[in-house]
Amino acid sequence: MSQARERIERKLAEIGSLPTIPTLLVPLLQHLCEPAEDVSIDRVVKIVSQDPSLAAQCLRMVNSPLFGVRYAVETVRGAVMGLGVNRVRQIAMACSLLKAFPARSAVGVRALWAHSLAVAMVAEKFAQQAGYAEPEQAYSAGLLHDLGILVALTACPDEFEKAAEAASREHRALYLCERELNGFDHGEIGEMLARRWQLPGPYHHALRYHHEVEQAPAHRCLVAIVGLCDILCRLRDLGYGFEEIGFVDLAAEPAWLLAANELPKMRDFDLARFTLELDAFIAEVEQSVAALFELV
Amino acid sequence: MSNAILTPPASSLQAQAAASQNPHLRKIRDLIYQVAGILQPDHKLQFLEDRCRRRMQHLNVSSLNAYYDCLTLSAVRTEEMKELLNEITIGETCFFRNAPQLDALRTVVLPSILKNKSHLAYRHLRLWSAGCSTGEEAYTMAIMLLQEREGALKNVAVEIVATDLNLRSLEAAQAGIYGEYALRNVGPAMRQKYFTPAGDRLAVKPEVKSMVKFSRLNLVDDARMTFMKGMDVIFCCNVMIYFDGVVRKRVVQHFFNNLLPNSYLFVGHAESLYGINNDFHLVHFPGATAYLKGQTRVGGGA
Repeated sequence: MSQARERIERKLAEIGSLPTIPTLLVPLLQHLCEPAEDVSIDRVVKIVSQDPSLAAQCLRMVNSPLFGVRYAVETVRGAVMGLGVNRVRQIAMACSLLKAFPARSAVGVRALWAHSLAVAMVAEKFAQQAGYAEPEQAYSAGLLHDLGILVALTACPDEFEKAAEAASREHRALYLCERELNGFDHGEIGEMLARRWQLPGPYHHALRYHHEVEQAPAHRCLVAIVGLCDILCRLRDLGYGFEEIGFVDLAAEPAWLLAANELPKMRDFDLARFTLELDAFIAEVEQSVAALFELV
Repeated sequence: MSNAILTPPASSLQAQAAASQNPHLRKIRDLIYQVAGILQPDHKLQFLEDRCRRRMQHLNVSSLNAYYDCLTLSAVRTEEMKELLNEITIGETCFFRNAPQLDALRTVVLPSILKNKSHLAYRHLRLWSAGCSTGEEAYTMAIMLLQEREGALKNVAVEIVATDLNLRSLEAAQAGIYGEYALRNVGPAMRQKYFTPAGDRLAVKPEVKSMVKFSRLNLVDDARMTFMKGMDVIFCCNVMIYFDGVVRKRVVQHFFNNLLPNSYLFVGHAESLYGINNDFHLVHFPGATAYLKGQTRVGGGA
């Protein structure tokens, strides 16, 4: 493999303590990424109950004003029913990842979480509207897509920060600045972690290729959805907290062309309406992130 | 004292959640999008409900469901839709109304247009505020361009054309005198630089005024629309919402024909041209979108 890859491997070995996979993540990914109708409430309740802080988080969320329940929910089952499987999945994945990557360098970690959560929600919606068969998988891929940045923030914070500063200053894509300055980007790092953690195959590709969809050897629809939603979020106040894109013609993006060719409902996709609808996510994302950081 | 006052107010998020769950409200939202191309996303449904209730009070209608019937079945449905659209877009006119849109114009659109014209000995820029109402949008463009006069726009001739159907609006626009409400986004430095006091209001300075040419134009007048050639940028915000689909298609086609290659059409911040035109394509800026007429004509959808 390339020199850059060896460098990251060395770098990751250097810090020695690359986070181990959160124990919850594997069953969650396996079970909650199945179509909603196949997900059994009992199993979700069981998974959630195994982790006291996750259970507490679910209870706190379901009793928050966002849901406006009229009576206090006191059981995990009640919380899972009240929140719905989607939100439980969101809380569980975010919680377990936040534990793996404690926010020790405060550099934009919160913004990064907000962005990941936003891409997850938008990707799921996009998948549904464009006719992608597994919107739940798109959600998870969206939530995980920038895992490489979390690793970089832990493994090589100085190098990463330099690249982020350059991207913000020159209004350029972060991954390009990372490559120029460091010789590798967060896609490559993310993929290496995904392999080490033995996440399912589609996620490897979504993590690695979301900025260069045309390079993806497989699962290209999923990668394209994550790539497009990543761009849309960065343009609608749901980005990394710094400005890097000034103008995008989505119709000319390889990700759009790929999705347009392969997804059944793209012909009638109303991008203008979809874009306007994204603004409704901003408050929800902020609320969720605030709740997450309060607990961890 | 009634009990209602003692009940704590629902939190805004709660109210928002309740509004977004209301199926009748969602139906009304989708209807408005279908007939007028203007979208109230989920977090704006509370606002939409308020506006519907104002109209319902006026009509003495008690449920949103019954009001939906007023908008679809009643003999005056077309008029009622116009009234509702008025309620939704009222107060939208002010200086520097849509900051992300103006940032896009200043930082991306104008530089790109000028770069495309860099080979020309005489560079000329033509902007059109279509449906200019009382002139705030056109004067905002003028102020923005004046700010660039020593920079990007040095040696570029600039012309702003502003048109409206309503003569009374045009008179007010030409007078160029504005109150606090229209000036709410204008800071003290800018007031000092581009306005002079006129009683308890402010008048735009002559140097701003001289950049804008106001005239009366009906966007539906095919004959006159063909004479609005050579545009680089068109702003047409919350105007087309009052036209039906057929007329909107015609007006947008005129805009397309009147724009030069590599030029942009901006519409209202909640407006969409979905299903109206396939020649333009939607492009994204931070917090804003616009419709681009490309270098060469691309047929069909993307």
